[in-house]
Amino acid sequence: MRKDSEIKDKIVGRDRIHVVMFFLSLAFMVLGVFILVWIVKIQTSYTVPEEVIDLFRPKTDSVIYKAVRGRILATDGRPLALSVPLYDLHMDCTVLKKKYKDENKDSLEQVWQDKARKLAVCLSEEFRDKSAEGWADIILNGRDNDKKYLLIKKNINLSVLERVKQFPLFEEGRNAGGIIIDEHPERIYPYDSLARRVIGYMKYAEDGKEDNRGIGLEYSFESDLHGTDGCEYRRVTDNGLSVRDPDLPHHDVKNGKDLRTTLNIDFQDIADKALRAQIRDHNEIRAAICIIMEVKTGAIRAMVNLSRGDTPQTTLYERENLALMQVGEPGSVMKGVTLLSLVEDGYVKNLEETIPTNNGVLSGYQQDNHILTYQSQTGKRVISVIHGFAISSNYVFASLAERYYGKKPQEFYDHIYSYRLGEAFDFDIEGLRSPVVNRPGTSGWSGTTLGSNAYGYGIGETPLHIITFYNGIANKGRLMKPYLVESIEKDGEVERKFVPKALNESICSAATADTVTRALRAVVTEGTANRLKSAKLPVAGKTGTAQVVLTPAERKGSSSNYIDAGGRHKNQGTFVGFFPVDKPKYTILVTVYSYLSKDEFAGGRYPALAVRDIVNQIYALDADWRQEIQCTGTVPEMTD
Amino acid sequence: MAGRVWHSVRNALRAIREGELLLRLRADKYLVHILYLFILMWVTIFLGIQVDKTLIRVKENNEELEKLRIYRTEKEAELVKLHSASAAQKRLKELGSEATLPTEPTSIIKTK
Repeated sequence: MRKDSEIKDKIVGRDRIHVVMFFLSLAFMVLGVFILVWIVKIQTSYTVPEEVIDLFRPKTDSVIYKAVRGRILATDGRPLALSVPLYDLHMDCTVLKKKYKDENKDSLEQVWQDKARKLAVCLSEEFRDKSAEGWADIILNGRDNDKKYLLIKKNINLSVLERVKQFPLFEEGRNAGGIIIDEHPERIYPYDSLARRVIGYMKYAEDGKEDNRGIGLEYSFESDLHGTDGCEYRRVTDNGLSVRDPDLPHHDVKNGKDLRTTLNIDFQDIADKALRAQIRDHNEIRAAICIIMEVKTGAIRAMVNLSRGDTPQTTLYERENLALMQVGEPGSVMKGVTLLSLVEDGYVKNLEETIPTNNGVLSGYQQDNHILTYQSQTGKRVISVIHGFAISSNYVFASLAERYYGKKPQEFYDHIYSYRLGEAFDFDIEGLRSPVVNRPGTSGWSGTTLGSNAYGYGIGETPLHIITFYNGIANKGRLMKPYLVESIEKDGEVERKFVPKALNESICSAATADTVTRALRAVVTEGTANRLKSAKLPVAGKTGTAQVVLTPAERKGSSSNYIDAGGRHKNQGTFVGFFPVDKPKYTILVTVYSYLSKDEFAGGRYPALAVRDIVNQIYALDADWRQEIQCTGTVPEMTD
Repeated sequence: MAGRVWHSVRNALRAIREGELLLRLRADKYLVHILYLFILMWVTIFLGIQVDKTLIRVKENNEELEKLRIYRTEKEAELVKLHSASAAQKRLKELGSEATLPTEPTSIIKTK
């Protein structure tokens, strides 16, 4: 009986469970259909309110980290350009003002103003440009006039900023003290104007309205120097600190690479100073340049480009890279080109060979006054090639060129092109101009072009082309490609190394180079560059003085291309050579450019004097010329 | 039906009051799992806190390193300015020294 009732209860209980399960299933099914309809409705017609989206959006901010621009280094690692952040300091003078006013807390307002006066004292002591009263007036007036962004100081460095942040009021931070700090990167050039045209600059266009602009190494190696900005998402921790969100992607910042140049900053300093010393007091000189090149490698050790610009009275500064961009008639330094060609082709076998002086007259060319002087001084009617070279006779070289290349001028121009004097070559800085050469058959060719070119007129060359050629003579015929960048480095490790390259493995034989070197030495010992005789290292080289073609406005009223109506002309005076003669280590070029003037600015004058100063100082500085003193005695050993 | 539900609820409340709820539910069978879950949760929270602490330290250290880098660069620039021959010469002149730049190369005493 008991069993029957238990069984009955079980059956009844089971039926109830079935009923409950049925209704539960039904409820879930209805709920499922409802959710499905709800989802379809949301997907098709419902717009989620912004506040709701905000609730679901992760609390993160993206932060961009600016890459630090790479440094430009001298060959010994001293920095020529580096980047540091500078800070602009502003103040929100209105902080807490409204709160104090609303809550009638005049005493707290008074405390704030007292702190502002203490801040004014500190600012006065730190910046020393205004009195404490002056600063207090500015800040309190700013508070009265609701200034929210009052400029305190621009471009302060981190050391100053750290001190300023400890000042009264500012130590309370942005919300209570009103301090506002704006950081911006700044490029620093520790040597100021030294090599500024070579180092250059980079100007970034704002908002992409125009292209980025720049010059020099900064521009040419922008991709290496710039680096890559980093980006990360940050979230706020339970402590209220902002940290990187490890669950979201990030890009590490890659700072720019360093550029190690070939520049020797001591040589640059010496050359800069020597040029300034020669031309500082001569307002007729518009500009002066100097290039020092290492003979074996073609590495540029110094490149100075001092210029006054268009106004004679302005101070000398690195305004334009004339070494690369000034294409001008080089004058007599081209005689080195002619002599090398003549000797290499075997037309001049001996520098003592003579030609008749003919009173310096060659048909079609201007009479050569050097020859008249020579004739009157020596009474001779013949002149040797080496002497003609030493006194820089146009007649001698026009005659030789006409005699040997007159019927086959292309042979001479083939030499010019093989010396790479006919075209621009690849260089580390953009802007190297192409020379202007009037070859036979071109529109600029005439009956006197060959002879004129032989002594440096009717042809345009940049100073870099000229020094590259003379470096080839010093290097026994191996024409090295000038270069400015030794390596690209990352964190002190070399990533890319630039090795010296030859533009032409052999422009002449070693014997020819030696012969021409002897002629170049004669220029210094007995010729136009005799001011260099007293240099502490023996120098060989060539002077060149050329008149510059005037602009149509300058030559108004004059029939000459070179002289204005007032008899004034523009000069370009050059000395190019190498030292020491027996084992050349450096090639040097100095050129000065004048404004319109009646004075001569010959290559043997200011350029030669500047070269003498530079050679003497390099002699004292360079480790190669250190003297060894043999130790003859002994020092007793120290004992305890 | 309502009576059974009420009975169950009352029973459960009584069990909670007497501290026997988990025993009546036979939760002791799952004690290991519960402990494991608890440890997992504890480890998750602990690691989250440690990650936060590490990230804060990384941030502070990075800021300090950046500050040092800037200081170093500023000082380097200041020193380099003084390192040129011209600057040295100018300073010597200002100080009234008669010393000038060398005019002859350095002599080195060669030891045997």
